[in-house]
Amino acid sequence: MVDNNKFYIKDLNLYYDTLRALKDVNLQIKSNKVTAFIGPSGCGKSTLIRCLNRMNDLIEGVKINGLVAIDNTDIYGDIDVITLRTKVGMVFQKPNPFPMSCYDNIAYGPRCQGVKSKTDIDAIVEKSLKQAALWDEVKDRLNKSALGLSGGQQQRLCIARAIAMEPEVILMDEPTSALDPIATAKIEELIENLKKSYTIVIVTHSMQQAARISDNTAFFLSGEIIESDTTSNIFTNPINKKTEDYITGRFG
Amino acid sequence: MRKAKDYLAKILIYLSSFITVGVLLAIIAYIFINGIGLINWSFFTNEYNDKTYYLQFEANKLQLSDNSYKDNIPYTRNVINNDSEPLYIEELGGAIIESKKGSDIEFIISYVEKSSSMLEAKDRRGEIVGIKEGYIIRSINGENIEDKNLEEISNIVGDIQGNIELKVTNPGNGVFTNIITTLYMILLSLSIATPIGILAAIYLVEYARPGKLVSTIRFATESLAGIPSIIYGLFGMAFFVVFLKFSLSLLAGALTISIILLPVIIRSTEEALKAVPDSYREASYGLGATKLQTISKIIIPSAMPGILVAVILSIGRIIGESAALLLTAGTVSKIPENLFSSGGTLTVQAYYVAKEEANIEMACAIGIVVILLIIILNLIAKLISKIFNKANY
Repeated sequence: MVDNNKFYIKDLNLYYDTLRALKDVNLQIKSNKVTAFIGPSGCGKSTLIRCLNRMNDLIEGVKINGLVAIDNTDIYGDIDVITLRTKVGMVFQKPNPFPMSCYDNIAYGPRCQGVKSKTDIDAIVEKSLKQAALWDEVKDRLNKSALGLSGGQQQRLCIARAIAMEPEVILMDEPTSALDPIATAKIEELIENLKKSYTIVIVTHSMQQAARISDNTAFFLSGEIIESDTTSNIFTNPINKKTEDYITGRFG
Repeated sequence: MRKAKDYLAKILIYLSSFITVGVLLAIIAYIFINGIGLINWSFFTNEYNDKTYYLQFEANKLQLSDNSYKDNIPYTRNVINNDSEPLYIEELGGAIIESKKGSDIEFIISYVEKSSSMLEAKDRRGEIVGIKEGYIIRSINGENIEDKNLEEISNIVGDIQGNIELKVTNPGNGVFTNIITTLYMILLSLSIATPIGILAAIYLVEYARPGKLVSTIRFATESLAGIPSIIYGLFGMAFFVVFLKFSLSLLAGALTISIILLPVIIRSTEEALKAVPDSYREASYGLGATKLQTISKIIIPSAMPGILVAVILSIGRIIGESAALLLTAGTVSKIPENLFSSGGTLTVQAYYVAKEEANIEMACAIGIVVILLIIILNLIAKLISKIFNKANY
């Protein structure tokens, strides 16, 4: 495969015990683009995004078959899960900074990878926070608890924490669903800037958000991908009737 | 009719709560009233048994260094009634008082100069024991002093050429040894039970896959927590004391207590670990941390307040334990020399003096100490959880 695909997903099926949560999913995710997963609740978008860095491994009773490849490497076979997660960072629905200082939060990942030198970590912290557009807000309170930040700041801190690992991909699972509109706007602006350097996959409930920030969109319904295409095609010229119904707000 | 029922129910409820509180208060009041008379500084510093020595020292010729001592005599013994004015004797380098306790008269050393040779007094084998404040003088160079007064004693001492030998008693009736034994017991059993308990809880919460094994372990720990401690005591006696030949000893006691503590520590640590939000785990794994890194850097620090509270409450459990220790560590009132020497903790001593010597006053005095210790520990536990709950991290 000579193309600009970051992820290549083929015939992926996922079961929670007996429940089939993903059904024969086929999808390609392009490098350095923002790909949005949309669809109603419980349709499998979060499940799929959590396959991409093997977060589903943490859940009891999950069975997966099919192929998920990053840069043509099978993530369930040929790559160590720790290495995978350093390449594929993740930001969660609810901001989840560790109960430590802002500095320690950012430094956590690099330290776990064995970076010891204070100057190196200082540099990583500053760079990540600047990239996450949070530096100016927290530079004077780096050593104070991250839990004292506002929700939007906490979420940007989590993005900075992911960036500190210098990943290739950032997965975002409804990163703005717990935030107010102003914080949401900031995060969206941030995503816009980040896509130059990272491949971003974002799960969102808000179709406007998908339309605003994504380049490609995949529409999910009960564990299947109904349609995936460029965002403009999906929103202006959907092929499938169900996609059109969802986008025009007839259900979901 | 319905109103009458309501009324009756109300009376019952109030009555029950009053009975509960009343009984509790009555017990505490009884213990305090009975025991408070014995509580003073020497209660904590004296050993339980009297110790009598023959001690020799070279006669001093020491002036009293501080003339205001009469207003400020450091008594180390509780002499409330009928004490005479102290008399300073230069040959002793110290002062004596005459204390009447009932019909008995005792001569008590009330003050010792810092440079007095009494502090270096040797027993007949030449070992330095030292005569300290609070010691009771029984005889001087073999001469009985029971029917003498302070002036006569001063004269007797003044006439002595060379060494003075006093027969002195280091008064007992204290719990110093029991306090030390209790401390040893706490340190020893915590250092056995805490690491094992915490690691077991980590296994149960973080590693074990839910299934038969885990539910069996959980059922076992829950059942173990409910077994009366005398059963553990019997086991400890049969296994540690007899089979492993530890005899009645600190080690046998501490091992038995550790078994009692394990379920407590495992349960509370489990709860603390479960209370750590899964989002922390996800975030950590999402950053490429290994399981060990996640547990040691994120989960344990977050669960620390809960674990600390468990440890502190365990200390309370150790202090309060008597049945199991009676059978495994013994009742000896002596500071244990090593792991294999026997020693009674405070509660064991309370049992011992009440049962063997019918000394209710002493038992109640120990009761006061135990109650206060437990209250303090509970307050610390509360404080810790409060601080950690309020703090941001």
